[in-house]
Amino acid sequence: MVKILVVDDEEHIRLLYKQELSEEGYEVILAENGKECLRKLDEENPDLVILDIRMPVMDGIETLGKIINKKKDIPVILNTAYSSYKDDFMTWAAEAYVVKSYDLAELKTKIKEIIDRKKESS
Amino acid sequence: MKVIAMILAGGKGERLYPLTRDRAKPAVPFGAIYRIIDFSLSNCVNSGIRKIYVLTQYKSLSLTRHIQHGWNILPNKLGEFVHVISAQQRIDEHWYRGTADAVFQNIYTLEQERPDLVLILAGDHVYKMDYKRLIQFHLDNKADLTIPVIEMGKGSSKEFGVVEIDQSYRIIGFTEKPPKPETIPDKPGSILVSMGIYVFNTELMVRRLIKDAKTDSQHDFGKNIVPSMVKSDRVFAFPFESGSKEGAYWKDVGTIDAYFEANMDLLSPEPTFDLFDPDWPIYTHEESYPPIKIVLTDKKRGKSYGIALNSIISPGCEIKGGKVGNSLLSPGVKVEAYAEVDSSILLNEVKVGKEAQIRRTIIDKGVRIPDGIKIGFNVEEDAKKFTVTESGIVVIPRWIRM
Repeated sequence: MVKILVVDDEEHIRLLYKQELSEEGYEVILAENGKECLRKLDEENPDLVILDIRMPVMDGIETLGKIINKKKDIPVILNTAYSSYKDDFMTWAAEAYVVKSYDLAELKTKIKEIIDRKKESS
Repeated sequence: MKVIAMILAGGKGERLYPLTRDRAKPAVPFGAIYRIIDFSLSNCVNSGIRKIYVLTQYKSLSLTRHIQHGWNILPNKLGEFVHVISAQQRIDEHWYRGTADAVFQNIYTLEQERPDLVLILAGDHVYKMDYKRLIQFHLDNKADLTIPVIEMGKGSSKEFGVVEIDQSYRIIGFTEKPPKPETIPDKPGSILVSMGIYVFNTELMVRRLIKDAKTDSQHDFGKNIVPSMVKSDRVFAFPFESGSKEGAYWKDVGTIDAYFEANMDLLSPEPTFDLFDPDWPIYTHEESYPPIKIVLTDKKRGKSYGIALNSIISPGCEIKGGKVGNSLLSPGVKVEAYAEVDSSILLNEVKVGKEAQIRRTIIDKGVRIPDGIKIGFNVEEDAKKFTVTESGIVVIPRWIRM
């Protein structure tokens, strides 16, 4: 089963994503901030990371840099309420940048695209 | 057009050991009063590129001090600076893995500056280049990346990135250190080599660096970034001759022998690489020293005139009855009575005692050569105590007690 790590500091978002993505047939694990994300990355070895940007302890952009250095081939979807980070150089390292919305359709499509692409190339 | 320069000054310079035992290669003294990095820095300043980052890593103390003391000359208020950035491990908890990684690890700095173009330079090359012309060439060709190239003999291909170009100077092939290189059309004995200097459009460079960071590579401009960009982007070769007004002098002083030769080149009456050029000054850190003093002593064996022939002598040097020929003396060197120094490089504050004889020797800072000693006359003897190169140059390291 495809394992997705959702990193967000807001509990209700984590729970919403867990429910919605589980219904899509993914295994979902959670982290509250970048630091926890890096730890889970080692422990759980997920296939994809959905990463919020504005978080306490370690923000998503710093986390993204560290993810690249830890696991080069793990795809990351940045998922933030703000589109303004798109100009940040480091965000270009993400596979996709999806602005948060009450409807998770776009996010789900991106996840599927990335997972399918990953399967093809492996 | 906003341009910043990033000077890569993190290499270990292992082949210059023991000169690099206590300092990074760009901080190795050169031409009596300079450090190697002064040439790239001076090129920047003379070309009007005055936002300069120096990326340091190994043994950076001496280099950082030199830049703080000697290069604190640009007005920050006007947005001009020379900043030293030491490896910060902000992204990765390792030393830089390659030249491209060094720039990638400093992506936040680029982010803050947001230049249109980034000029990537090496901190350990000796040359003069007007980067304004390089940048104009880059813009005229609407290039994504432009690489200065220089013509060399086919035999040196194993040391450099070899470039293949079409009629418009677009690079169509790039191979790092090939044993059998592509030669220049109609010049079967010559190749075009990359000088390891790059002008990039910032955004594209960032994208290519990110892509490279996410793959297993050596994270090196020459080995990875350039070959892959040749396939996908507009990469051009800038002929070095057209950016330098005095012929193509460019040296990567990689070995002690090359270092020695490059210093000796300066002793020619009209060297290709001339330090005495009012239009292209080379700046450095200079301490205050008294004027040069070359005098006679009048002691036991009768009068001994201090003599310096065919040499470069720096301020603060005292030649008290000794003879100096075909040599470079850094500031504060003393040569005592009846001592003879020939074809040698004496760095700051070296003292050569009475009746000592020194030949084809590089003496690092502060070493005191005892009275009467002979160095450079017997390779086997010298090699027991010091580094001796293939061509017989002796190197006496710092802090040695003789």
